[in-house]
Amino acid sequence: MPKAFDEILDECVDRINHGERLEDCLARYPEHAEELEPLLRAILDTQMAYTFPPSSPAKMAARRRFNAALEGLERRREEKQPLFSRVSGWSRAWVAVAAVLLVALIGYFGLRPVLFPVGPGPLPGPEGNFAFLITDDVNAIGDFQSLNVSISKIGLQLGGEAGRWIELDPEVEVVDLTILQGDKAQEIWRGDVPEGQYTKVFIHVSNVSGVLKETGGPVSVKLPSEKLQIPKSFEVTSDSVTSFVYDLTVIAAGSPQSGIKYILKPEVGRSGAERRFEVIDGKGRGR
Amino acid sequence: MERRSKEATLASLYDEYYDKIARYVFVRLGDRAEAEDLAGEVFLKALESLDSYKERGIPMRAWLFKIAHNLVVDYLRRVAKRKVVPIDTAQVSAELDPQAMAETNVEFARVTKALDQLTLAQRRVIELRFFGALTSEEAGRVLNKSSGAVREMQSAAIRSLRKLLYEES
Repeated sequence: MPKAFDEILDECVDRINHGERLEDCLARYPEHAEELEPLLRAILDTQMAYTFPPSSPAKMAARRRFNAALEGLERRREEKQPLFSRVSGWSRAWVAVAAVLLVALIGYFGLRPVLFPVGPGPLPGPEGNFAFLITDDVNAIGDFQSLNVSISKIGLQLGGEAGRWIELDPEVEVVDLTILQGDKAQEIWRGDVPEGQYTKVFIHVSNVSGVLKETGGPVSVKLPSEKLQIPKSFEVTSDSVTSFVYDLTVIAAGSPQSGIKYILKPEVGRSGAERRFEVIDGKGRGR
Repeated sequence: MERRSKEATLASLYDEYYDKIARYVFVRLGDRAEAEDLAGEVFLKALESLDSYKERGIPMRAWLFKIAHNLVVDYLRRVAKRKVVPIDTAQVSAELDPQAMAETNVEFARVTKALDQLTLAQRRVIELRFFGALTSEEAGRVLNKSSGAVREMQSAAIRSLRKLLYEES
């Protein structure tokens, strides 16, 4: 059965997409050449008008971010592996040394601080049942000498869609994201919040002030919105401290030709109450 | 497919499909810098959502265009809320001489005007077929249409384009 014209045209679009010349397509179907020719020319003219090779710097920057995200995933997977599977590749002598050191550390510091530097778990104390921390996933933060973010409000939604919002005033209002890269996080609020299941979190960003390493001068950093809300479920109970880590990341968009733009946005995948981070203070010192 | 295997497949598509996705987004937004930015975002979003990706439902390269479409829609919604018009019609390279630049801009405006007169469905087909270089089958998966329906829309769109580009201009 002869091919329908729509199918022939479709095949020619595929061939043109793979680099075949218009004349070669016409030669395959001489009986339709007259009808095909202006249609294929319309395709080529349309494609030509939108010729757009992305700039190499932009493509490379995007590739670096993608690779960093892949490496981050791999690193987190390794961290999640049970201890015995991670040490199985070690020599017996090293395992013995590590075991002795671990026992000594546990004896000296106690079990809990070693296993739970941050994160959910029983961390009793007079300071309350909830802590809110800020961290920064590494994207374009390396371009900055400092990136100060002013946070004027924290919001937590208790329950589902119609649940009430609990609003908190941060005790630390300005964080410098350049010292909060990767697994470092700074606590900006701690206290008591109602027990229950929370479903959304927002921070209200009142100001962003960045200084670039390269120029030593200020640079504009765009915000998608002053209120950065993310969907994230977590539970708060009365007998333990829930530490919620909110990940803010700055990304670079554009190219040197068209101009680099910096955008600050939440990283939903790296935010949450189940993550473990190294807690530091506003000067970058460990706590 | 295992998670790691999906990640490897996604990484292997990066070099070829970053350009195609950037071009697809550029046709939708008319802004080079945003197109480059969103193309990178597509791969990060895909990485984040890999657990929900099922190979039998849709080929991964077509799934990337589905993500690109959603990000474009989100972007346009945000821009509309901010009441900022980001369309940068001066899309030609600064290396061109002024006359060539003017000619390219005229051609760009002529083709954009023709594309704008297609139906939305026809335009979506053209964007995926001409600029994303997806097959009709793959474009159909993105648009939830059969490949036959895509071919029909494509034929009608190309005939309209021919008329708009050569007869009415």
